[in-house]
Amino acid sequence: MGHGHHHVEVKQEQFVFSPKAKRFSIILMVLGLVFVGLGIANLGGHDNKHEAKTETAAHGEHAVAGHEAEGHHAAAHEEHGNVPNEAFGPRMEFHPLDKPANTRIWANFMIVGYFFLMISLVSLMWYAIQYVANAGWSVGIKRVPEAIMTFIPVPFVILMIGLLMGKNDIYHWAHYEHLGLKPGEAGYDAILAGKSGFLNSTMLFAFPSVLVVIWYLLMRKLRALSAAEDNGTKGDVSFFRASTKFSAAFAVIFGFTVSVIAWLLIMSVDAHWYSTIFGFYNFVTHWVTMITIMAFIVAYIKKEGYLGFVTNEHMHDLGKFMFAFTVFWAYLWLSQYLLIWYAQIPEEMAYYQIRFENYKFNFLLNFAMCFCIPFLGLLMRSAKRNRYVLAIIGSIMILGHYHDVWLMVFPGVFGSGMQFGFLELGMFLLVAGIFVYWVFTALTKRGLVAINHPYLEESVHHDVGV
Amino acid sequence: MTIMGILDKKLSLRDRNKMLIGVWEDEDHLMSGATELAHAGVHIHDIYTPYPVHGLDRVIGARRSKLARIAFFCAITGLTLMTTMIWYMYVHDWPMNIGNKPVRFTPSWAPVMFEGTVLCTAFGMSFFFFWRNRLVHGIKNELLDIRQTDDRMVVAIETVNGMDEKAVLDIMKKHGAVEVREFHNGVQTVL
Repeated sequence: MGHGHHHVEVKQEQFVFSPKAKRFSIILMVLGLVFVGLGIANLGGHDNKHEAKTETAAHGEHAVAGHEAEGHHAAAHEEHGNVPNEAFGPRMEFHPLDKPANTRIWANFMIVGYFFLMISLVSLMWYAIQYVANAGWSVGIKRVPEAIMTFIPVPFVILMIGLLMGKNDIYHWAHYEHLGLKPGEAGYDAILAGKSGFLNSTMLFAFPSVLVVIWYLLMRKLRALSAAEDNGTKGDVSFFRASTKFSAAFAVIFGFTVSVIAWLLIMSVDAHWYSTIFGFYNFVTHWVTMITIMAFIVAYIKKEGYLGFVTNEHMHDLGKFMFAFTVFWAYLWLSQYLLIWYAQIPEEMAYYQIRFENYKFNFLLNFAMCFCIPFLGLLMRSAKRNRYVLAIIGSIMILGHYHDVWLMVFPGVFGSGMQFGFLELGMFLLVAGIFVYWVFTALTKRGLVAINHPYLEESVHHDVGV
Repeated sequence: MTIMGILDKKLSLRDRNKMLIGVWEDEDHLMSGATELAHAGVHIHDIYTPYPVHGLDRVIGARRSKLARIAFFCAITGLTLMTTMIWYMYVHDWPMNIGNKPVRFTPSWAPVMFEGTVLCTAFGMSFFFFWRNRLVHGIKNELLDIRQTDDRMVVAIETVNGMDEKAVLDIMKKHGAVEVREFHNGVQTVL
């Protein structure tokens, strides 16, 4: 009450990575490792080859087989497999591929790496947007995205391990490239051949690497400017101006390249399929997750007694962000689905057919976790201002969006039968533990308050009203 | 009397009892004045400022806006309206075969329902917001001070029985009110 007007003295604060938080991150990692171990133990042995590679068409035929236990796959495959569906035409012809059991491990590396890489990148995007949009309210919490964005290299390495080890089994275009078929030969695929300028192994490694270097350098530059501002004098806006320029540069570069990365890494799992909204949909999935993670970290450091001037007003705005982008996620989710549903073009339907027939539970769970629950849960104002509600709904959102990314990849790679299991959860928890450790360590590297930021005062007085 | 006039009756200042008016020229003094008035237990009817003054709503103990609730009910209305409409047109009255799709509760309903909800909410909120703030065509605005939309801030205090008017005026003057007035039956007297 009445905190709005009088002057608040803001002092620099130093965050300490408490032993309790350290223990939490290590518990996450250990739990993750245990689950990963359980998952690997349950892979089913290397002699038991998984379901053959699936192009959609064949999967329509043996959807029932997909629900049977893994062990029955071979039999089911013999019964139904390799039946080209006339409706899908020659382009969607079924290429049988034997997937080694460890494909699932590398696919998990790829998913968890991609997920956390995007989380780090969109936090940098969030940071950049605050500068470009001249936002004042967020200055008090700007150290949090500043810490999250330092995580870029770790998930990138994890992603690259996944791609290096599992490329040919994850991407059927990579396998196709490996076959090196000429026009007229049996199995020649004009679609994949036509896309080979973009979908090839050189691109797969070179393109993300080059971009990550550019993004990383811009991140370092922005962090350096922020540190220089801290060490400078109050009233010197030169660092702020320079940050705005580099932020604008990053926003433009990232805005265009993020879609391309999503096409190259995720959409190409179903290489015959394409959706123009896919890149943006990927962006929003990670964007809303990153805001949730940010809200969690802000709530935690506030609870530890730091940042007294960051009030419920700031939390409320983060809650509004979570809610708004939940709706926006659903908007894109439905837009992508609706047009494909209405147009009923076989090439487009392939993506949804496989998910709706073999992964119906996950498909519906995805919508419930990413939209229905957060929408109803965060609708009320009091919910957005309540730490506990944010914690519960936010946890569902983070897991839901991770599951969303999983659902973009796994049905495309395995076709059926592979559920979200111990391995998936374990990989997520393991990297989440590393993430917590890394981000909290990054938070200790500099003062918690952007003490010389020209808009600090505005953030201190931020008030969304009664 | 027009419909707007009837709607406006409750908000109008015309039939108010006696009011005390304090006029300020800067928000810092206004803020301290309003704070002390509120602490003294004076019921502040409203404060009119040309721009939002942060924290003022909390000082005078303003209740939370009902706009969110209005938005919710407008949204429900819009959703119901559009669902009924599309059901009547597309299922009941004239079902159409489009791409051999079913007609009942399909994804194609979603955009209509969504847009209808948003439309009703937006228009409903705008109308109620403008009406509550007396900015709708058909309402004659009563300005307590001709400059309250320009560079002056006006505090209106409703007098109640047993109120120490002298004390209220003293508080206002102490905190730099450039003018204090009495408002009675639509007529203002400078005190």
